[in-house]
Amino acid sequence: MNSTAAAPHDPASREPVYVFEVPVRVWHWLHTFSFLALAVSGYLIANPLPSIGGEASDHFLMGNIRLVHFIAAYVFAIGFAVRIYWALVGNRYARELFILPIWRGDWWCGLLHEIRFYLFLSKDTPVSLGHNPLAQVAMFLFNVLGTLFMIGTGFALYGQALGIGSWADRLFGWIIPLIGSEALVRNWHIMGMWLMLVFVIIHIYMAVRADIMGRTSSVSTIIGGWRLFRNGRR
Amino acid sequence: MGDQQTFYEAMREHGITRRSFLKFCSLTAAGLGMGPEFAGKIAHALETKPRTPVIWLHGLECTCCSESFIRSGHPLAADVILSMISLDYDDTLMAAAGYQAEEILEQTVQKYDGNFILACEGNPPLNEDGMYCIQGGKPYIEKLRYMASHCKAIIAWGSCASWGCVQAARPNPTRATPIHKVIHDKPIVKVPGCPPIAEVMTGVITYMVAFGELPELDRQGRPKMFYSQRLHDKCYRRPHFDAGQFVERFDDEGARKGYCLYKVGCKGPTTHNACSTVEWNGGLSWPVKSGHGCLGCAEDNFWDRGSFYSAVTNLGVTGGVEATADDIGEVLAGAAAIGVAAHAAASVVSHMKDGSKGDSSHD
Amino acid sequence: MTKQVTPNGFTLDDSGQRVVVDPICRIEGHLRIEVNLDENNVIRNAVSTGAMWRGLEVILKGRDPRDAWAFTERICGVCTGVHALTSVRAVEDALGIDIPANANSIRNLMLLAQHTQDHLVHFYHLHALDWVDVVSALKADPRATSELQRSISNWPKSSPGYFRDVQARLKRFVESGQLGPFSNAYWGSAAYRLPPEANLMAVTHYLEALDFQREIVKIHTIFGGRNPHPNWVVGGVPCSIDVNGDGSINMEWLNLVSSIIDQSITFIDQVYIPDLKAIASFYKDWTYGGGLSGKNLLSYGEYPDHPNDWSQANMLQPGGAILDGDLSKVHEVDVRDPEQVQEFVAHSWYSYPDEKQGLHPWDGITEPHFELGPNFKGTKTNIEQIDEGAKYSFIKAPRWRGHAMEVGPLARYVVAYARGHEEIRDQVDGLLHDLGLPLPAIFSTLGRTAARGLECSFTAHKMRYVFDQLMANLKAGDTATANMDKWEPDTWPAQTRGVGHVEAPRGALGHWIHIKDGKLENYQAVVPTTWNASPRDPAGNIGAYEAALLGTPMVDAEQPVEILRTIHSFDPCLACSTH
Ligand code: HEM
Ligand code: HEM
Ligand code: NFV
Ligand code: SF4
Ligand code: SF4
Ligand code: F3S
Ligand SMILES: [Mg+2]
Repeated sequence: MNSTAAAPHDPASREPVYVFEVPVRVWHWLHTFSFLALAVSGYLIANPLPSIGGEASDHFLMGNIRLVHFIAAYVFAIGFAVRIYWALVGNRYARELFILPIWRGDWWCGLLHEIRFYLFLSKDTPVSLGHNPLAQVAMFLFNVLGTLFMIGTGFALYGQALGIGSWADRLFGWIIPLIGSEALVRNWHIMGMWLMLVFVIIHIYMAVRADIMGRTSSVSTIIGGWRLFRNGRR
Repeated sequence: MGDQQTFYEAMREHGITRRSFLKFCSLTAAGLGMGPEFAGKIAHALETKPRTPVIWLHGLECTCCSESFIRSGHPLAADVILSMISLDYDDTLMAAAGYQAEEILEQTVQKYDGNFILACEGNPPLNEDGMYCIQGGKPYIEKLRYMASHCKAIIAWGSCASWGCVQAARPNPTRATPIHKVIHDKPIVKVPGCPPIAEVMTGVITYMVAFGELPELDRQGRPKMFYSQRLHDKCYRRPHFDAGQFVERFDDEGARKGYCLYKVGCKGPTTHNACSTVEWNGGLSWPVKSGHGCLGCAEDNFWDRGSFYSAVTNLGVTGGVEATADDIGEVLAGAAAIGVAAHAAASVVSHMKDGSKGDSSHD
Repeated sequence: MTKQVTPNGFTLDDSGQRVVVDPICRIEGHLRIEVNLDENNVIRNAVSTGAMWRGLEVILKGRDPRDAWAFTERICGVCTGVHALTSVRAVEDALGIDIPANANSIRNLMLLAQHTQDHLVHFYHLHALDWVDVVSALKADPRATSELQRSISNWPKSSPGYFRDVQARLKRFVESGQLGPFSNAYWGSAAYRLPPEANLMAVTHYLEALDFQREIVKIHTIFGGRNPHPNWVVGGVPCSIDVNGDGSINMEWLNLVSSIIDQSITFIDQVYIPDLKAIASFYKDWTYGGGLSGKNLLSYGEYPDHPNDWSQANMLQPGGAILDGDLSKVHEVDVRDPEQVQEFVAHSWYSYPDEKQGLHPWDGITEPHFELGPNFKGTKTNIEQIDEGAKYSFIKAPRWRGHAMEVGPLARYVVAYARGHEEIRDQVDGLLHDLGLPLPAIFSTLGRTAARGLECSFTAHKMRYVFDQLMANLKAGDTATANMDKWEPDTWPAQTRGVGHVEAPRGALGHWIHIKDGKLENYQAVVPTTWNASPRDPAGNIGAYEAALLGTPMVDAEQPVEILRTIHSFDPCLACSTH
């Protein structure tokens, strides 16, 4: 068994496939860089740099860090909105991120196989055109839900600063009583960052690993869009 | 209620002139953050409405809400008690005791059914059939339920009545429960704070007496006029926060200069209260102004958010007391990095072991 | 039981009519008192039941010791700050932290301000109505009231017109038919003895004191950011001082503190003390309520003059213990000695492995166990009569070397008097001389009330002394307010114990703590009202409330004015007592 997603295209044919369209690729890198900006600035909001001296009016360090966070937050949020739109109009691979085909038996088989493979229990290399099932699960949980969670909690907090009745408060303010209190929302917002970071570490490792050791292209796919197939041996 | 005086009549009879009555109304309007046009409305309301009976009950609490209340400077607590409302029951202040005191509750229900305000300080414990707070030989929860069923509206004073407060902190041995979780069929206005600011308390009472309705409430049931802003957004130390100038430890150079208290645990960024605007004890100061960070005392369950002295606090799920998001996150991210490194090493080994067979995957 | 003599020398007889007063109002928290009267309406048995429990000692377990002050401060908002101070002292003791001189002065100032305000509010708002008949004030001649006022003090608010205005206000209030907090009380009872003029004067000062108390607490607001519940910090005080700056405490705020001190001294000496004497002079022969006060008294001593020195010689108000009314000997108290302070729960709603034994608070256990005795009347949720033969209160029974002790202003005054403290001797002797009473007269309900008044004046004046001390230290160039050397938990020993004590307005207060791996392993508070309102111990010793009620005749069994008088003279705080 070496195929998971029911593909219109037989991976065995070894022909390159156009997987990631331009908007997906652009989004991926916007998402990457805004995430990194959010994580760094967010960390520095929670754990500020050593105090600086002088007149308060001469400095705006914390203010600028927050500014970076909020600009990156808008990029992150708007980018994600556009990505959702593209899932509706883009190619079949554009939808994979958002939908776990849990109703499909072969998807579950693929997932199991993938897990066995990464635990070195199976040597049979799985091959997928889009994302493999394991990656799909991780991306859905940590990225899609994670991103929504970070946007929701982030804008809920932002709405408190903008004030009661502000657009962010009206759209996202309900999240605060849902979670309990503003302090808790803030703490979970931080926790969300760490969880996403865990995903990112593993994600980058997997991508690079696949590129080095795998039978299909990986990093070049998210850069150029085309999934290339190697000979199967190297 | 025909034989009752209106608030205005009461004030006139106490030798207060019409001029100072109107001045009182405009001060009150200003105190409530409303324009001068509201002064007229308040005056009209006070001239035509009888003094509202207030029943003030005490559950599990420390009575600091009452103590705070009597610190009110505008209006003076004495004027509120003697002229604005009729404080018919309050076990901390009333002259009667024993059954003569409890009789007043029955009289109130008979005379003012559906027309009195129930002011609750503290909260009822539910464990041990409510017997962790016994009044007149019976559990407090019974008295609370009975009076609530006959009142017009409830004021939940302080963090005890609003959220549960200190006795509800983990592990909440008595199952102390905030008012809104035991009374579901009456309008409740929460006035949180441990304790709330005196002028916030009398402001809320004045509003309810003057307008005969609850003030506008936010999503969590707090009056918008006092709780819509985070302390952080009106804090006079905010320029130091934005500049990146922090007190690193108590009594350091930054502390003497009045730098921001964020790094020593100030919870101003997540606390809704009027401290940074109304301030305490006649507008004299507030915790942050004196040099200690805000504890977040007006927020739900602020006791279980971890240290009062660190900016990142805990998640409220870790049963053990004090793991913060950063603590947990650093461990997780570290574990992920180690896991990745180990997996990479294992991959290399496994790849070398059977160099002939390739593997592939992508993510 | 019917008749029995307790080991501490009181005769109890529960054969007569049982009278229940629940709630006792004008106190903090929830207290129930039951008494038995003989055929002459004299109290022959008394039962004090603390009727609330929150479990702060349980809640504190496992928490950061540096946060504990905030939790314990919420034990009580009436004596706000005293538990916080005790807590930071306990942590500093456990960790070996010395606080700077300025922090010592500021803490002393805050505690003195607390005593001054708390005593003032207690006298006028919680206690006065036991002696003052509000309704009788309507009959007063304002001119005569003015003369009375002028004869006893220089207080400027004394014109006939002023009293006429207050009287008119009161009259319309009463005539409105809505008596508010004065409804259903015991006005007109034969127990009230003041002439209408004195009643009017006292009611007037009820209102003035309500207004003035707001000023005193501003000292907390300046140094601790607010009142009630100012902020504290382990190692010192959270405020910094920069007399030349505008970022922390500077000259303007110090001036405000100074001015509040002056106003407080004036108010106490010109209003409170003269009123106290005037009222007492009408009740000189109401000599009841002595109870334990003529026997066993305890005070830890308070206001360390120099920082970090806990010897009695360094205390502005020295402490100690008196046993069996022997004023010639003041016993030294060691709060660390496992034989001295112990708590019993045989009659309290808690359980111990062995309830015959007491536990020193370092080994203390707080394990709730609500259970009504075999002879109680009613149902679990409707208690008609308590069974004092079994467990009957949420208050534990603390004992010193096995003795039930009275604590509070009277205890402090008698101990300091016995130690020969000059200022306090002069105050006490002066008052007794003015009233024409002998020393033993102070072992009574009125003596307790008088000691509190004298102490209020003492604390107001001591604020001036401490403020001057603070200024002198600042002038000498020392501006430090906190010692942060041992702030970080990695500087702490793996295990340590500590104890902090404070003389709170209502008496001797101690917190005993055990820190393990940076967290609180055990936290035990033994509180003034725990001492005074304590139930019986396994040996049968009764506590101060129960003892003080014995022997008091009631004018009318239906109107518990006499019970209120004596119980109020202790200034009960039930939230404190059970915590
Ligand atoms: C993956 C995305 C994000 C990450 C990793 C992230 C991370 C963080 C972190 C670590 C903090 C510090 C928490 C604190 O102590 O206050 C923070 C604060 C905050 N974040 Fe985010 N965040 C993300 C997305 C967003 C978004 C989309 C918004 C929307 C506006 C947002 C708004 C905020 C706000 C308002 C604060 C509080 C800032 C302050 O009070 O000064 N965040 N974020
Ligand atoms: C240098 C950093 C990164 C590299 C080299 C990288 C690489 C890749 C690669 C190779 C893919 C395609 C996987 C496939 O072939 O199926 C991919 C997809 C993806 N990556 Fe990354 N990534 C990086 C950072 C991030 C970060 C920081 C995030 C999220 C915070 C992220 C989220 C995603 C998502 C959601 C997809 C799926 C795209 C889609 O299906 O629309 N990546 N990434
Ligand atoms: N008892 C007591 Fe307190 C006092 N004073 C505290 O320690 O009152 Ni609330
Ligand atoms: S809210 Fe806090 S301060 Fe008020 S009664 Fe409760 S514990 Fe005391
Ligand atoms: S002191 Fe507190 S409220 Fe003020 S700016 Fe700093 S963090 Fe915000
Ligand atoms: S602790 Fe409370 S009093 Fe104000 S500054 Fe914070 S909300
Ligand atoms: Mg205790």
